[in-house]
Amino acid sequence: MTLLTALARLLIFPGLLFAVPAAWFFLWVERKSVALMQERVGPPFMQPFFDFIKLLGKSTPPRSGIAGLLMRAWPLIAVSAAAGAVGLLPVLPSSGGFEGDLILLLALLELPSICIIAAGFSSRSIFGEIGSAREAALSVSYNIVFLLAIVSIAASQHTFRLDALASAPFTPLHWLGILAILVCLPAKLHINPFSLPNAEQEIYAGPMTEYAGPELAMWELSHGLEWVAGTGLVATLVAPHVGVAWLAACIFVAISFAVVLLLSALATATARLAIDSTVRFYWQCTLIFAVLAVSSALFMRFRS
Amino acid sequence: MNILTMMWKNLRRGYQTLLFPAHPRVTPRFRGLVQFDPALCTGCAVCRFRCTSRAIEFKAGKGEFTWSYNPGQCTFCGRCVEGCAEHALKEGHTEHALSQQEAVPPIYTVQGELKKSYTVARKPPAPKPAAPPTVIPPAGAAVPSPATGGAQ
Repeated sequence: MTLLTALARLLIFPGLLFAVPAAWFFLWVERKSVALMQERVGPPFMQPFFDFIKLLGKSTPPRSGIAGLLMRAWPLIAVSAAAGAVGLLPVLPSSGGFEGDLILLLALLELPSICIIAAGFSSRSIFGEIGSAREAALSVSYNIVFLLAIVSIAASQHTFRLDALASAPFTPLHWLGILAILVCLPAKLHINPFSLPNAEQEIYAGPMTEYAGPELAMWELSHGLEWVAGTGLVATLVAPHVGVAWLAACIFVAISFAVVLLLSALATATARLAIDSTVRFYWQCTLIFAVLAVSSALFMRFRS
Repeated sequence: MNILTMMWKNLRRGYQTLLFPAHPRVTPRFRGLVQFDPALCTGCAVCRFRCTSRAIEFKAGKGEFTWSYNPGQCTFCGRCVEGCAEHALKEGHTEHALSQQEAVPPIYTVQGELKKSYTVARKPPAPKPAAPPTVIPPAGAAVPSPATGGAQ
């Protein structure tokens, strides 16, 4: 990957120029589809964009010292990490990549969660601290399954290159890994039944309680970019390998859209679980499948 | 699976939210801007006395009086209308902030901009009704005592 292609991927497609409108669009799709399934009207099409612009125009309360500096820094780091994660996705054919970009992608996908945990504790709000503690417990629970699922897919293909994984032939193990990623996505995106960290009507907005103005706008954008990155990861793994760039882009968007609808339906159909039930779900129910997937992948590797 | 069936039905049925009505009805008990009829007012100033928000001002002059009403200060409690014995005050039903049926709700940018004053000439006092002719009882006639109260 040359510097030029890296910049083009980061800034144009599937990077910022595509990812930011896509983030607003996916946020709208999620809110609108949930509303329609609950017999509500839902927000207008441009609402996430209007929210972002409105928040940018508001002033934030003055915060002095290192806590204030950190509170301003966390959302920016989260947005940068999520945008970088989207930029790494191998959407277009022969778009280039490097050995180990899967590990970088996993690290970048994890950074927003760490920023959320740190932001809640930096805000010194009791609701923020509760939300951060929940996010930390959730992160420890679902990440094991999430990482094992991706590692199993990578181990079965003998590579940590994303474009090699995206163009790999489909095996039952591949589908098992994708299923495990899909199970982890609601927790990663903080939607029902795992909307514990920002549990509305319970702990206000969790780690975001003390945030306002442009900083909150950055958090919203980071959340939208996480949607694009999470659903995009599934889309790149599921999408069939095609040589035409525009067709590959259209397939990527269509599968991401379908995953957003699927997650929205899940969020509508379920209620929020308590933290102990959530942790038990990931450690008892899904971890077995993830370990099974990894062990199968390793077995296949030694056999081949 | 029941919840999925329910969600699918909801999707097919469309939203059931009742939209905000464009022209809601004004109820008969709605209290709008106070309407003043100078022809009926006698200048007793009971309304000024009953107005707790001091939206009504009253200045008495020689042969006339000035009645003022500031809707910006009015809380629409209706006490002035209740206390007006001559029915010179009424509660308006048109300037409804939600209905906009006949007129848009009043908007003001400067304090006291909506204030209206009426200078009304005092009416001459109505002629007293003629006193009934007094009958002087003849001397020696029995007068009913107040204790008995006369004929029951």
